[in-house]
Amino acid sequence: MTSRETPDAGAPSAEPLALRLTGLTKVFNKTAVDHLDLCVQPGEFYALLGPNGAGKTTTLRMVGGLLPPTSGSIEIFGIDALRKPLEAKGITAWLPDEPMLYDKLDPLEYLEFVAGLWNVDPRRAEANAEELLNVLGLWEHRFERCEGFSRGMKQKVALAGALIHEPKLLMLDEPLTGLDAAIARQVKELLTRRVKAGATIILTTHILEVAERLASRIGIIAHGRLIAQGTLEELRRHAGSMHSSLEDVFLDLTGATEKAA
Amino acid sequence: MNLPAFATRPGTLTWLALHDLKLSWRRFRSVFGALPPRTVILILLFAIAAFHVLAIPVAQWFRTAQHDGPNQLHFYPAVASAVLFVMPWLVSQALTSTTRALYTRNDLDLLLASPLPPRLVLAARALAIGCESIGSVAIFLLPIANMNALLVGWQWLAIYPALVATGLICTSAGIGLTLLLFRIAGPRRTRLVSQVVATIIGAAFIFTLQALHVMPEGVRGSIVAAIENPGGNMLFDKSGWLWLPVRAVAGEPVSLLLWCSISIVIFMATALLLGERFALSAVQSGGAAAPVSARRARRQVQFRSGLGRALRLKEWRLLGRDPWLLSQIMLQVIYTLPVSIVIWRSQGPNGSMAISIAPAIVVIAAQISASLAWLTISSEDAPEFLATAPVPRGVIERRKLEAIAVPLGCFLAAPLFALAWASVELAIYTALFAIGAAASTAFLNFWHPMPGRRVAVLRRHSQSKLIAILEHLLSLLWAVAMVLAVVESWFALIPLAMVGGILWMNRPRKPVIASAPVPAAVSPAAA
Repeated sequence: MTSRETPDAGAPSAEPLALRLTGLTKVFNKTAVDHLDLCVQPGEFYALLGPNGAGKTTTLRMVGGLLPPTSGSIEIFGIDALRKPLEAKGITAWLPDEPMLYDKLDPLEYLEFVAGLWNVDPRRAEANAEELLNVLGLWEHRFERCEGFSRGMKQKVALAGALIHEPKLLMLDEPLTGLDAAIARQVKELLTRRVKAGATIILTTHILEVAERLASRIGIIAHGRLIAQGTLEELRRHAGSMHSSLEDVFLDLTGATEKAA
Repeated sequence: MNLPAFATRPGTLTWLALHDLKLSWRRFRSVFGALPPRTVILILLFAIAAFHVLAIPVAQWFRTAQHDGPNQLHFYPAVASAVLFVMPWLVSQALTSTTRALYTRNDLDLLLASPLPPRLVLAARALAIGCESIGSVAIFLLPIANMNALLVGWQWLAIYPALVATGLICTSAGIGLTLLLFRIAGPRRTRLVSQVVATIIGAAFIFTLQALHVMPEGVRGSIVAAIENPGGNMLFDKSGWLWLPVRAVAGEPVSLLLWCSISIVIFMATALLLGERFALSAVQSGGAAAPVSARRARRQVQFRSGLGRALRLKEWRLLGRDPWLLSQIMLQVIYTLPVSIVIWRSQGPNGSMAISIAPAIVVIAAQISASLAWLTISSEDAPEFLATAPVPRGVIERRKLEAIAVPLGCFLAAPLFALAWASVELAIYTALFAIGAAASTAFLNFWHPMPGRRVAVLRRHSQSKLIAILEHLLSLLWAVAMVLAVVESWFALIPLAMVGGILWMNRPRKPVIASAPVPAAVSPAAA
């Protein structure tokens, strides 16, 4: 099943979709996202793949409320994110590839600040902070300022910040870039647990192995358009080779698009 | 300008120095933003011409001082004041630049990991630091040298080599002082300590400049007399070692030769002896652990609720934990106060504080408020993160403006209390006008954000000269209004109306949107 056939990919459900993008378009000097239709079911782990400049980050930035789309609509759990942005932001979190932290704050202070922004009950926020910092191996560093942290540690603090308010929809832009194997495993385990607990995750990644292992569905985007989506099996079928790896399928599909473009 | 770094043999001091000078030039060039080279050259030529015109009265004064004129007795004190004025500034610049080189590092890791000897790296970097420091005073001093040479005598061209020699000695002193501080205070504290020391040394040159004005007439006269007839006092003996730089600047050939030779020896000795220490300090500065608050580490974790509290606390923590930033802001206060003291003194024994000290406080309030507003609004570390929060941008920015009121109050409390000691009524007037001035410059920054990094707080105006002019204009108008209000003149309404007009013309015409310090992140290329 691919996006060309139907925008409502995935199993039908009575619950509103975690994310529904309809005709989403963003034009800078050139078209970055081109009439993108995309649906993500609640509780799904959705990986958005694509070559550099395909429009992945622009798409996530529009969903996160950081960029106004040129046209189209964004619905998050039934909330029109363009009309009611604050309501939508209240249940989402966005983690960019470069962690956005305050160097002069320590992890606990940062989490307290994030909890304040999302108006999380202090007692619940405290418990969440303790749990997240323990799971991510940061508890010992909770009173150290972030300025002395490695990139991996900063990424983990930023991830803890994205999770402390228990978002229903979590958008991660290249969350594993630059992380060593041990930290990457911690992050992957934490994300998997969150999905099992009912959260919906959309991530972009260049590491195809991550998408292959974690994602329940994969979307491939090129030149701002969704060229294919589905489970790995569906993508293989779409590419016409049941024994291909995701890398083969990805290169096959994006290569074909490059030629067509 | 592309200096021909590849025309020299790689790995030599000249090659490395040219590389560093090229980087220095590009940093200087960046001050002019995207202006085309022709415009930059025209601006520089205009500035040089203007400084030459301004130097004509100085040259005329020196002509009367050097050729048996009425100012003859003041010739050496004047040259000595100039030397005392320049040297602390050069040392302060070298101290700041060396600390920045150690901590911001940039290409230092690459250079120190290369097979080049550390003394060569230090020598090249020191030359670049020296050139930057010398350049910062050359634009004021060399026009004086040129006009003096034209109107008084060619020997004034000695300022050129004397300035280079002084720059080399002061750079060596600055490097030595930084490395000494590094050894004493350790890698974690040196950045702050050196900034404070540089601020004090830098302020010394302002106070030196003003010292003669502030000194009572009798003291000034006795110093001039002592210089004329030292009577064995080494401090005032013009022929002694202490006066060597003064004689060099005045164009005495032997002194000039000696001063230049000493500067080369000191500079080479610094590079040779401190090269290894510089490399070691650079390595240590990279591994300086982030501080942990022992007091905080002992207490239990306790989150508290409230959006306003969270935002205010965040801003206060970020400001309070960056003493370097606070010292940069304090510089504004330090550099403003001597001027007001001079105005006060110039009015004689019954000088009115209402037209000297009080307006200075109003101006300082406006400037500090603008700096703090810029820090909280424009140099937000995570603007995109805040934009993803379920809070209206207007609410966030209002809370941020509330947050700056407290540090601003802390800065102004002491001078206002001091003023209240003399006159409660004047202190109340000053406080009211200071609040108005602070609010107006804060709103200007709020309505017209100029994204930038926090470390660039004193260079924030490079992005918008118009905002810089408006900020200064607003602070001056408030100060003028205050003086007129204190003397109970209805004319006070005129500057206040002008303030209102400026703010009205600069009100936001569209909703203020997220300020992003890294605009490239929103470009399509990031997709």
